[in-house]
Amino acid sequence: MREDKAERFLEHLKPLQRKLEGYCRRMAYSADAVPDVLQGALANAYRDFDLYAEGTNFPAWMFGYLHREIQNANRRLRKHAVGEPVDVAIPDAWHPPHELPIHRLLLEAPEVVLDRCDADLAGGVRGLRHLERSVLLLHAVGEFKYREIAEILEVPIGSVMSALARARQNVREHLASLAPAADSTQKRGG
Amino acid sequence: MTCSEARQHWHLYQDSEGDARLHLEIEDHLAGCPACAEWFHLQSRLEGLIVEKLAEPSYDSALWGRALAGAGVKRGRPARAWFWLVGVTATAAAVLLVIGVLNGVRPTRTADLADVSATWHDRLQSGAEPVQFASTSDREVEAYLKDRVPFPVRCPPRKDAGFAVRGAGVREVEGRPAAYLSGSVGDVPVSILVLPRDSLAAFPSQRDGLRQRGVMHSPAGPYAMVLREFDRNAIVVVGRADPPALERVVNAYGSYPDHN
Repeated sequence: MREDKAERFLEHLKPLQRKLEGYCRRMAYSADAVPDVLQGALANAYRDFDLYAEGTNFPAWMFGYLHREIQNANRRLRKHAVGEPVDVAIPDAWHPPHELPIHRLLLEAPEVVLDRCDADLAGGVRGLRHLERSVLLLHAVGEFKYREIAEILEVPIGSVMSALARARQNVREHLASLAPAADSTQKRGG
Repeated sequence: MTCSEARQHWHLYQDSEGDARLHLEIEDHLAGCPACAEWFHLQSRLEGLIVEKLAEPSYDSALWGRALAGAGVKRGRPARAWFWLVGVTATAAAVLLVIGVLNGVRPTRTADLADVSATWHDRLQSGAEPVQFASTSDREVEAYLKDRVPFPVRCPPRKDAGFAVRGAGVREVEGRPAAYLSGSVGDVPVSILVLPRDSLAAFPSQRDGLRQRGVMHSPAGPYAMVLREFDRNAIVVVGRADPPALERVVNAYGSYPDHN
């Protein structure tokens, strides 16, 4: 019986492992916390696996456990304040200042900036507010729809939409500030 | 719809969220407004690259082994197993080295997505490879693929884009899972391959070409091929149809909101 439960759990888990680990590494405030967070989330999810209804959304179910474990670990570390989500029913209109030259470089040759800015991109994401970072990463790494993200984070869908718009804007502004350096590196390198 | 309204809804369009009417209105606007079409292309390309960076695979098997054992899902493996593993790996490496020396060093082959697509289209059309799931319903095909590939897939292009779907299935391309759609444009058989975007790493010439242009045309044996990136996917449309007709099909992929 136990073997069967473990087998079924692993079968569901296997296709998600890379995404779960990626999300955990980018969300956990300390890299040292990753093994414990992952183990804690797996232990809780496995304990409750009998409650999981076959055929429903296992990825969202599993990410919910991981997210709560990360949130608890980050709270314990007290390095990052976890603010209460603010519901915004209508998503913020977003008009990036795309006419500025600095943004044109980022838009027209994004690989020039991104290829040189791996750590900076991670830094830009880490600098986001908790909800913005969670939404951005659940969307990018977990590949979830707005509705699923709202369920995982237990926030209204309007909050998901506005947080995603703000997260995208903040990450792009962060990258745009690095664009001149990337441009000059490219010119020097030919 | 004005330019400002279209750009305000870029997030929903990019993420295939919102209702079908909004998507159709944006599509209509983009078809008649080259400035917005270019703006959408640049925004989507940047977003795709950021997502690609953020979603780079992360997998540490030792970490998972410990976490699963610690969580009580798997029993821990005895340490002695490592000695066996190292021994077996070393022996296998030695055997491969000897085979390599005996056979001489072969040049590394660079895969070509046009060849892969043309061969696959041929096999589907000749019946050498039966279509795994036969259906003329966009929704059924979408649901079938979503349950079978580990990456996001979108609703197939529909008849308003000139494509009539006849079936779908899953296969491997360069060792990675890919979805395919079989159908026609008019009376001409056309196949669509949908790959996870990072699969393009195995096809450097196409990947580099796409970085320069939003949509790439190329001959594929006796067929024409059109390639485009959309969100997390690379989409290949291949067949004997006119390239503009194939481009309409490739551009329609992902422009319909999800059904789930």
